[in-house]
Amino acid sequence: MSATLEVPASFRSSAVRPGWFGLLREAYQEVVSRRRLIRYLVQADLKKKGANTLLGNLWWVIDPLLQMSVYVILVSFIFQRGHADYPLFVFAAILPWKWFRASVRDAISSVTSQDRLIRQVQFPKIVLPIAAGSSGIANFAFGLIPLAGLLFIFFPHRASAYVLLLPAIAVVQFVFTMAVALFVSAANVFFRDVANVARHGLRLWFYLSPGLYSVGQVHDIAGEQSWVGVLMGLNPFATLFEAYRAVVYGATMPDLRALAALLAASLALLVVGAWFFKRLEPRFAKVL
Amino acid sequence: MTEATPSDRWAIDTRGLGVRYSLRFTRKTTVRGTLDNLLRRRSSSMNFWALRDVSFRVEHGEVLAVIGPNGAGKSTLLQCLAGIITPDAGVVEVHGRISALMSLNVGFDSQLNGVENILLAGAFLGHSHEWMTARLDDIIEFADLGPFIDAPLKVYSSGMRARLGFSIATAVDPDILLIDEVLGTGDQVFRAKSKERIVEMVRAAKAIVIVTHDLDWVTEFCNRALLLDHGEIVAEGAPQDLVELYMERSARAKTKRERRAERFLEAARRGEVGAGR
Repeated sequence: MSATLEVPASFRSSAVRPGWFGLLREAYQEVVSRRRLIRYLVQADLKKKGANTLLGNLWWVIDPLLQMSVYVILVSFIFQRGHADYPLFVFAAILPWKWFRASVRDAISSVTSQDRLIRQVQFPKIVLPIAAGSSGIANFAFGLIPLAGLLFIFFPHRASAYVLLLPAIAVVQFVFTMAVALFVSAANVFFRDVANVARHGLRLWFYLSPGLYSVGQVHDIAGEQSWVGVLMGLNPFATLFEAYRAVVYGATMPDLRALAALLAASLALLVVGAWFFKRLEPRFAKVL
Repeated sequence: MTEATPSDRWAIDTRGLGVRYSLRFTRKTTVRGTLDNLLRRRSSSMNFWALRDVSFRVEHGEVLAVIGPNGAGKSTLLQCLAGIITPDAGVVEVHGRISALMSLNVGFDSQLNGVENILLAGAFLGHSHEWMTARLDDIIEFADLGPFIDAPLKVYSSGMRARLGFSIATAVDPDILLIDEVLGTGDQVFRAKSKERIVEMVRAAKAIVIVTHDLDWVTEFCNRALLLDHGEIVAEGAPQDLVELYMERSARAKTKRERRAERFLEAARRGEVGAGR
């Protein structure tokens, strides 16, 4: 009977829960054995997102371009600030940020929106935030099309072989996003405030990250106060934005040490997030 | 995965099963609500046991009916057996592939069409893709949705959703079937059809646990019954005896309630009960 099932048929459930290592192993096994379910969920999500609009998934290309235009108009023309080739400068940050923001938002409601299913079917709930976090990749991948257009048609002098490092930076961001997704999806089951906090928190986070401006500008303003620099260094999106910008805009090598540190920290956060999620999982069906 | 034990002849084995609900976290909790609760903490009243010390066994080939008044913990018991809820006390052991028919008018994804929903449901239930596609035609045929099978689920009527749900849950050929009050769904034709299929499964010596208020069904098809009240097993035995006991108890509860209502009416007539109470 094991050939037809991806899960063990017989089971034993009791009040005794496995320890932290057991929980992590369980989480890993669940994700691996349920890859097809995750794929289905991602496919369904992508299909739905494109289904109700006239232009369908073309919006994934148009959307970041429109957002870029807003910032270019605001910063370059109205505030008379900004950098050389500002459209490319700001696009390098908008694209990863949109991916992160969409993934976190989807993840927050990923568990709570399936409340009926959770009360009726036994399945590993961890697939829900994983799927929600993964479907954002398509969003990001489509955004690479206008990025390529911008870079090679309008600003060809900025193009370099360093662009090939972009996927590596995206991997670091993906791991970080997954860790955040696990935390927020589980927390939102118990406190629906998470969605409200996230709406404003994410906006503030973006403006406090060097997306519309560079880290150098922050250092100029901060002057003697070194804590600003320290705080900036702790912001994962300072590291990520700088890295994306280095390969797309600066035609330089990104700060690999900072990226490696962020990757290590994200992996650690992912492990803690998986434990956090698995710890709360048994209570989902009762609370929802 | 699970260790093979000599108790394999039991399809279901529960010992000292208890499920506790915390009333502190209810639907749509917010941080503020929790703070309020913490300030006025009355921890004893915050918890309640939906099931307490429930122990019973189901053999392969047995059809067990769980009866009892509303709020007795019947659905919680099924959720426990299905593995949806982890018990707070005791142990549940299930030997064999289990399938649960909870509420059938719940589709899996209203934006996807019938076929996509069948495949998605199969993935949720943990069936492999080959296995699911092999049964796809059977499921579609039994659900009998005609051209609607290619339409998104949001245009389905609740009866159609129920048919699709029933079709998926029973086509998976489970060793143990859990049924929660679903025999009354769908139109007459489908009701007869689904009853037929369940009877078929009973004949095929599958273990079935069924929660129902249809007492005729209990005496006709079940070979054992369990009477649950306030989360505890009141009695266990032959369906006929338990149905009688249950009817007696409900009749008693009913007269008690009627007497209370009468007293209340009398008091109202005398003007002792204000409008605000």
